[in-house]
Amino acid sequence: MQFYGFLLTAVLAAVLSSVSLALFSPFVTLRRISYLGEALSHIAFAGIAFALLLGWNLHWTTLVFVVLVSLAISWLAKRHKLAEANAITIFLSVSMALGIVLISLRNGYNFDLASYLFGNVLLVSQAELWQLGGLVTLNLAFIAGLYKELFYLSYNAEMAQFYRLPANLVNRLFMILLAANIVINLRAAGIILVSAQLILPASTAFNLVRRLDHAVLCSALLAIFAAVAGFALSWWLDLPTGASIVLLEFVLYLASLSWRGLAPK
Amino acid sequence: MIRIRGLSFSIDGLTILEDIDLEIAEGEFVAIIGPNGAGKSTLLKLVLGFLPLPSGSIEIDGVPHLDWLKQHPVGYLPQREEFDRRFPASALDLVLMGLAGDLPLGARFGERHRQRALQALRTTRTEALAKKPIGSLSGGELQRVFLARALVSDSKYLILDEPEASLDMPGTQSFFALLRELNQAGKTVITVSHDLQTLSEYCSFLVCLNRRLHCHTQTDLVNSEIMHKTFGEAVRIIEKDY
Ligand SMILES: Nc1ncnc2c1ncn2[C@@H]1O[C@H](COP(=O)(O)OP(=O)(O)OP(=O)(O)O)[C@@H](O)[C@H]1O
Ligand SMILES: [Mg+2]
Repeated sequence: MQFYGFLLTAVLAAVLSSVSLALFSPFVTLRRISYLGEALSHIAFAGIAFALLLGWNLHWTTLVFVVLVSLAISWLAKRHKLAEANAITIFLSVSMALGIVLISLRNGYNFDLASYLFGNVLLVSQAELWQLGGLVTLNLAFIAGLYKELFYLSYNAEMAQFYRLPANLVNRLFMILLAANIVINLRAAGIILVSAQLILPASTAFNLVRRLDHAVLCSALLAIFAAVAGFALSWWLDLPTGASIVLLEFVLYLASLSWRGLAPK
Repeated sequence: MIRIRGLSFSIDGLTILEDIDLEIAEGEFVAIIGPNGAGKSTLLKLVLGFLPLPSGSIEIDGVPHLDWLKQHPVGYLPQREEFDRRFPASALDLVLMGLAGDLPLGARFGERHRQRALQALRTTRTEALAKKPIGSLSGGELQRVFLARALVSDSKYLILDEPEASLDMPGTQSFFALLRELNQAGKTVITVSHDLQTLSEYCSFLVCLNRRLHCHTQTDLVNSEIMHKTFGEAVRIIEKDY
């Protein structure tokens, strides 16, 4: 019985984690900020290292750290449009280096680096499962509540602001929630793989459907399928779960490419 | 009434607009002309709050322009709008954008809004394209859809940056005829254009701009000397540079 409870927690963790990222994925892809997901997850690594070094709460420290950095990045990006990509790559590698140095300072501390790099749904606790559930709910509320704003923000932020939509405010909320999605998903999806799950579902969805709301739904469904099937596969074949889910999402993406090739134009 | 006082604007130390004083009265049909790089688009972007104002002041109806813009819609056609051609919006979605600011945060468009948007598409003869993805429209079709977005909010001011760009000849004529109708119904129209022939036919007020203002007066008062000042200077600048 206990074993099934454990298994159920792990499957639910995989599904909720994939779905939360998939819900954000259409907006991240349309706004061409997938590199941001990549950067934020690596920046989270420095946050984790700081928290370990200072003995602070791992989750909250990392969350606050990444939210602040994401706001700083979007502020920088607005100021200096061209330097954006470079600045973020610098941020990314520096925080990775910082994290590694900080963690090595704490040698002797038993820290399971691999589980943070690659994620492990089997390690997700009951409390973390609730967090993931809360995250999915929050994402749904955000997207459903501010759909029109998000739609035009993704189209062109400057024009959205001109047409008196609070584009800056919605963008800030978007960045905060994106950061939260990445940090809360680190345990389940891993630093290296979290951004893959932020890009693949929507890339697939946009090959299948033409409207943004359909793409959000389609992304979520694809993610549920990939999570359940990926989990089962990893369980039977004894493979790492996160990587299996990402590979499955990639197979779905390839399939969608050929589907688009067949579809009437 | 739009009142611009002592406006200067420069980017990276390069002066783009200098000492602009301009008043545009209500109900005017204004044309802004000048050579490429004269600062016409920049002036519009300053008035519309896209660029921060470093010096001088702009007032609309007696209120600082940024405050006014927060309260009122303006129909605006940019010279070029950046967007991803694969963005999943239809022509109708794009026109609805012009109404988005009228709705409270989070509210959805209703049938009433869609009808207004369709009506705007009808006036630019693109209602048949309403459902088409924006990425599949031709350049001229897209321009007409953008024009519909500028018209949909029924704003007091219409500000258009080269509306005739990529329109065919009958398209240009009928669009300017439409602008005249709107102008006669009380709207203030401000348009940047290179089509002097069309402008002389439709506009009541001419603004000749080339970094500085060379004239701002009733159209029929503009003479060849002013034209030469506006456009001739550009020729000299080019000669200096090369
Ligand atoms: N972001 C920018 N950075 C640097 N220079 C700029 C920028 N935007 C405009 N300029 C310069 O300002 C000047 C005026 O540009 P603007 O677009 O206002 O000209 P315009 O009168 O609209 O010309 P056109 O008829 O070609 O549309 C040009 O010399 C242009 O090179
Ligand atoms: Mg221009």
